[in-house]
Amino acid sequence: MPSLSYQEKSLYGELVADLAVFLPYFVYMHLHHATLTVSIIAAAITILIAIQIVLQIVIAAFTRNRLKDERDRLIRLRGYRAGYFTIVGVMLFGMGALWVHTTLGQINPSHLALHFLTVFFAVLMIAEIVKTIAQLVAYRRPL
Amino acid sequence: MPGLSNTLRDLRATRSMTQQELADAIGVTRQTVIAIELDKYSPSLETAFRIAHVFNVPLEQVFQYDPPSGKRK
Repeated sequence: MPSLSYQEKSLYGELVADLAVFLPYFVYMHLHHATLTVSIIAAAITILIAIQIVLQIVIAAFTRNRLKDERDRLIRLRGYRAGYFTIVGVMLFGMGALWVHTTLGQINPSHLALHFLTVFFAVLMIAEIVKTIAQLVAYRRPL
Repeated sequence: MPGLSNTLRDLRATRSMTQQELADAIGVTRQTVIAIELDKYSPSLETAFRIAHVFNVPLEQVFQYDPPSGKRK
């Protein structure tokens, strides 16, 4: 078992929080997509923030050395680059899918704003997970 | 890391210095020292000079660059 730095532990905490919120969110949205509401997205964000705060406090409490160095900063930048490309790629796909479904009449135009919000939130969530995983991988690979 | 190698582990061993002690001396995490020793990370010029300074040796005694063969300008 390799030793983990504070940054790595923190990233694992982020990943756990992301998955704990986003997986149930995706499952719920898939099963109940007829009842999409802004309050569900707001609840997901609130729960995510709460879990993140608790996990980060616990990780910080049990980690003596919380130093961040040049390698951590470089890995962070790589993660954000991966997240950026994910946002661009998945957003294009999401907007395209939205356009196709609207054109085919499968989406009620009056609900378009809500569907756009759902796609936008999903893109952000996917990008966040990709960013975190990219950072975790970078910690174990040559830079 | 292709082309770049270092003698960090040997220098540390001759001075009976732990990875954590070196990390504290140059202001990085122990994981970064491990990554440098395993040639998985090339440190910044500033960190490289700090390492040389800690061991009180010239920079080229810590890091060696072997240019890839077959690439000529």
